[in-house]
Amino acid sequence: MKQRVLIVDDEEQILKFLATALEASDYAVISARTGREALHMIATAAPDLVILDLGLPDMDGKEVLVRARAFSNLPVIVLSARDREAEKIEALDLGANDYVEKPFKIGELLARLRVAARLAAHEQAKPAVFEADGLRVDLERRLVTRDGVPVKLTPKEFDLLAFLVHHAGRVATHRQILLNVWGPAHAQDMPYLRVFVGQLRAKIEAKPEQPKLILTEPGVGYRLWTED
Amino acid sequence: MAAERELDRRPDPDALLALAGREGRGKLKVFLGAAPGVGKTYAMLAAAKRLKDDGGDVVIGLVETHGRAETAALLEGQEILPRKKIPYRGRELEEFDIDAALKRRPALIVVDELAHTNAPESRHPKRWQDVEELLDAAIDVWTALNIQHLESLADVVSRVTGVAVRETVPDSVLQNAQDVVLVDITPEELIQRLHEGKVYLPQMARRAVQNFFTPGNLTALRELALRSTADRVDDQMVAFLRQNAIEGPWETSDYLLACIGPDARADILVRTAGRMATKLNASWVVVHVERPGHEQTDPVRLKKIDDALQLAERLGAQTQRLSASDIVAEVLRYARRENVTQIVVGRSRAGWLRRRLGQSFSDEMVRRASDVAVQVITTPEREAPRAALRWRRPKLKGLFPGGIAALAAVAFAVAIGEMLSLVLKLPNLSMVFLLAVLGCAVSFGLWSAVAASLLSFLAYNFFFIPPLYTFTVASPQELLSLLVFLAVSVFTGTLAGRVHDQAEAVRQRAQNSESLYEFSRKLAGAAKLDDVLWAAAAYLRKIVGGGVVFLIPEEGDLRLRIAWPPDVELNEGEISAARWAFAKNEVAGWRTNTLPTLAKQFRPLVTPRGAVGVFGFEPMARGDAPTPEFERALTALLEQTALAVDRSLLIGEAVRAAALEDNERLRTTLLSSLSHDLRTPLATISGAISTLRQLRDRLPPKKSEELLASAEEETERLTRFIANLLDMSRIESGALKARRDYLDAADCIRNAVERGRRAFGAESIETSLAPDLPYIRGDAQLLEQVLFNLLDNAHKYGGGSKAIVHARREGAQAVITVTDDGPGIKPADLTRVFEKFYRGGKADGRKAGTGLGLSICKGLVEAMGGTIEAQSPAARRRGTRIVLRFPVAEMKKSLPP
Repeated sequence: MKQRVLIVDDEEQILKFLATALEASDYAVISARTGREALHMIATAAPDLVILDLGLPDMDGKEVLVRARAFSNLPVIVLSARDREAEKIEALDLGANDYVEKPFKIGELLARLRVAARLAAHEQAKPAVFEADGLRVDLERRLVTRDGVPVKLTPKEFDLLAFLVHHAGRVATHRQILLNVWGPAHAQDMPYLRVFVGQLRAKIEAKPEQPKLILTEPGVGYRLWTED
Repeated sequence: MAAERELDRRPDPDALLALAGREGRGKLKVFLGAAPGVGKTYAMLAAAKRLKDDGGDVVIGLVETHGRAETAALLEGQEILPRKKIPYRGRELEEFDIDAALKRRPALIVVDELAHTNAPESRHPKRWQDVEELLDAAIDVWTALNIQHLESLADVVSRVTGVAVRETVPDSVLQNAQDVVLVDITPEELIQRLHEGKVYLPQMARRAVQNFFTPGNLTALRELALRSTADRVDDQMVAFLRQNAIEGPWETSDYLLACIGPDARADILVRTAGRMATKLNASWVVVHVERPGHEQTDPVRLKKIDDALQLAERLGAQTQRLSASDIVAEVLRYARRENVTQIVVGRSRAGWLRRRLGQSFSDEMVRRASDVAVQVITTPEREAPRAALRWRRPKLKGLFPGGIAALAAVAFAVAIGEMLSLVLKLPNLSMVFLLAVLGCAVSFGLWSAVAASLLSFLAYNFFFIPPLYTFTVASPQELLSLLVFLAVSVFTGTLAGRVHDQAEAVRQRAQNSESLYEFSRKLAGAAKLDDVLWAAAAYLRKIVGGGVVFLIPEEGDLRLRIAWPPDVELNEGEISAARWAFAKNEVAGWRTNTLPTLAKQFRPLVTPRGAVGVFGFEPMARGDAPTPEFERALTALLEQTALAVDRSLLIGEAVRAAALEDNERLRTTLLSSLSHDLRTPLATISGAISTLRQLRDRLPPKKSEELLASAEEETERLTRFIANLLDMSRIESGALKARRDYLDAADCIRNAVERGRRAFGAESIETSLAPDLPYIRGDAQLLEQVLFNLLDNAHKYGGGSKAIVHARREGAQAVITVTDDGPGIKPADLTRVFEKFYRGGKADGRKAGTGLGLSICKGLVEAMGGTIEAQSPAARRRGTRIVLRFPVAEMKKSLPP
């Protein structure tokens, strides 16, 4: 069965080409031009994914996100022309699953859609093992190997990696990582996190100076690369 | 080890503070001599030359060589500051140029003759004040001084030598000097030098020489010089001990209070108290108390008090003017509050009446000061004013109604008495007169009552005591009763009169505080700076009598903001006095130490944040010293004014800060709007193209075609936006030059409408053009562009309704309107729609547009000499109408045939 995508945008041209592209990629597309309409459709038309523009004529896209999260857990990908990091972080912290910045290439958006759909599908049954680019993480046994060679991680480094594995393919904001790995007392300790990520990269990346696995989203957070 | 010991010591913090306070200032070195001719200037210049030869930054500010070759030789190779020439009564005076010195800013400057009096119109009346300013500017100063010019010693010197000392220097100058060098030779040597002609003396002084340069005088002066230097060395020792935390018995700090009255002894009292304070190493305060309702009006006496208080300040005392009906109690209250340890008063020479009624001032002070030591100073009988003067002087003006009333009351009492004695045979009619006395006391106060008592005494005697109609008294009983009557009437009259006077004083005070309240209410009502200043000026000019001005700093310099009368201009001297007052937070101008020859006085408006402006005024009578009442009232009013000015300045700053914040918000909005406008079409273009590349095989050909069309459309949109941006910058930079051709407005409108119909549909635009549409001057292409932009807007914001274009002639104008039927514009935004990048709603959540259309229209229309205006609602609470007006072009009536 085709997955149903709700596109929320007030720009006619963007709606048009997105609908064309998504339909060609085997999605069913429905669309909304205002925040009110979008909320109504999330509640009644049961979409599997939402693509949400932040600038809407009747309300801010973040407002739509907050209201939607009150009754729905479905994956939301934010699409925005606003390029300030603060906006992205805010949207992610409000519960967006990922974001794509305008202008974008269609391949990028499709990849994010796939990740979001996969994560939504596996939300209950979390994968016990993560594999990518020669790295293997066994979450249950707390074992990490690189090209078959065991890698020794400190407990916090492992927790950090485990959190990224749970969010593999999508961005995790600094704040989300700090809250989940170190707790609320350290929610603002960004430099702390940078140091740990550096250490972790040194242990698991093939070339730590050119990281391929733990990718930096400048000013926002980190994203763990997946083969998707 | 050494460091540890260093830490263990705890220097006295006060001593260190005093040291730190000095650090920002220049250092003063005084070459002190006992008399002219001891070689102060020579010693000073020799030392300066040594310093210069060692590479020091030394400048000679002013030195008098008096033609002495040895001294002049020392000036060779020195940098000498040119003197300032001041024209004065046809002559040219040469003075030290302080501004040049401040501009040059040497490390050390040599300025001779500290006690010199500057030419009139100079910034400071005395040279020592110039030196103070140099020190304040962190310039080190070397100077020379003779001991006779020291303020506290001036009277001693004139007593010893018999020569009056006119030029004096406050003791504080010498006390605050970093170094004092005593230049000393024996009296015999000095007299010999004098005879050899090696001592220069001004022509005028030659007569005094014989009296002055006697061995006795010179020895006495030498002793004074040696002793004051020794005292200084002692002080330095103590200061050193304190700074270095060396244990020792410290003097308890005494605090002296000298209480002066308006008589000739006041200055002697002040000098004596000053010497006592110096000996005790104590701080001291000089107090003058006035009784409300008994303010001095006699200018001679006012000047005495004024002079004495100024003298006290020069000697390093604080001064305080108090006001109370009970002088003794007030002084004691002040003394207790300020922890005064000794009170110094002169012995009173009260008149007999005063002695009868109470005690003399000094006696009463001694009696009532239970916890403070009182020193009663006996001063020489020097033109001591008669006590009687005291009784005659005050309230000359008040005497007229009071005296006439006393006369009338007594005459009335005589008439009543005569009538009563016709009807009844009363043994004693004195009660009737007593009534007259009490009446005068209650209505006109003390003086009237006393006059009425004396008159009654005479009238009673004359009319009612046998032998009648003579001033003689026959029986001794009658004499006794007459005297008793006099005593009773004076006594009750005095009491009642005092009650009246006190009531009067209370009324006065109530009136003062009421008017102060009124004043502060007026100021509180004014928010804008000019309103505050006008309110204050209107009130203050009543108090000061003459003109008033307010100066407020603008862009770093004081500017005259408000003046009453409005045509008052400040001359250069007045402006520099105002700057001084502002910079130093001190009073300057009339009757101060800074530029006292000016007609105006300038006072800083002081707030906790520092001075916020300067108030200047011209006193009603230049000769009179300000009374304490005036001083008090002015101080209170200026405090209020300063606070109000401060408040209005703060409000102004808050408004500016808010505007800045608005600006900041606007900038952010503008940026995000620009970013949205550029990214949205790009998103479609890039998205469409990447879709085509990636999914071409899976797309039906129709869809591919659609994607290409979108990309093309968005490219056009982007091109339009960029063209608009370029147009805007052309308009803003003034690069756009509109042609001024004769245009048929109807043609332009038709062309624009045609373009609009092609773009937005044939049904979207209606026109209504008057047949007599005139020619206008302008640029056909630009006008068409404007109209098309307006139609584009009407289409975008008109909610799908039709746009209507009207054109007609209105007098000398051609009026073109474009009206839509959309939701309209809020009244507040009607002018803002023409601002760059302004669009209704949020930055990115609205119709695709550039936010430039209307501002470009405005720029183009104005370049063609027309105007543009937005009206909303246009009709039936809906719609927007944009109105263009162009002046009609005058055409020649007809073409030649």
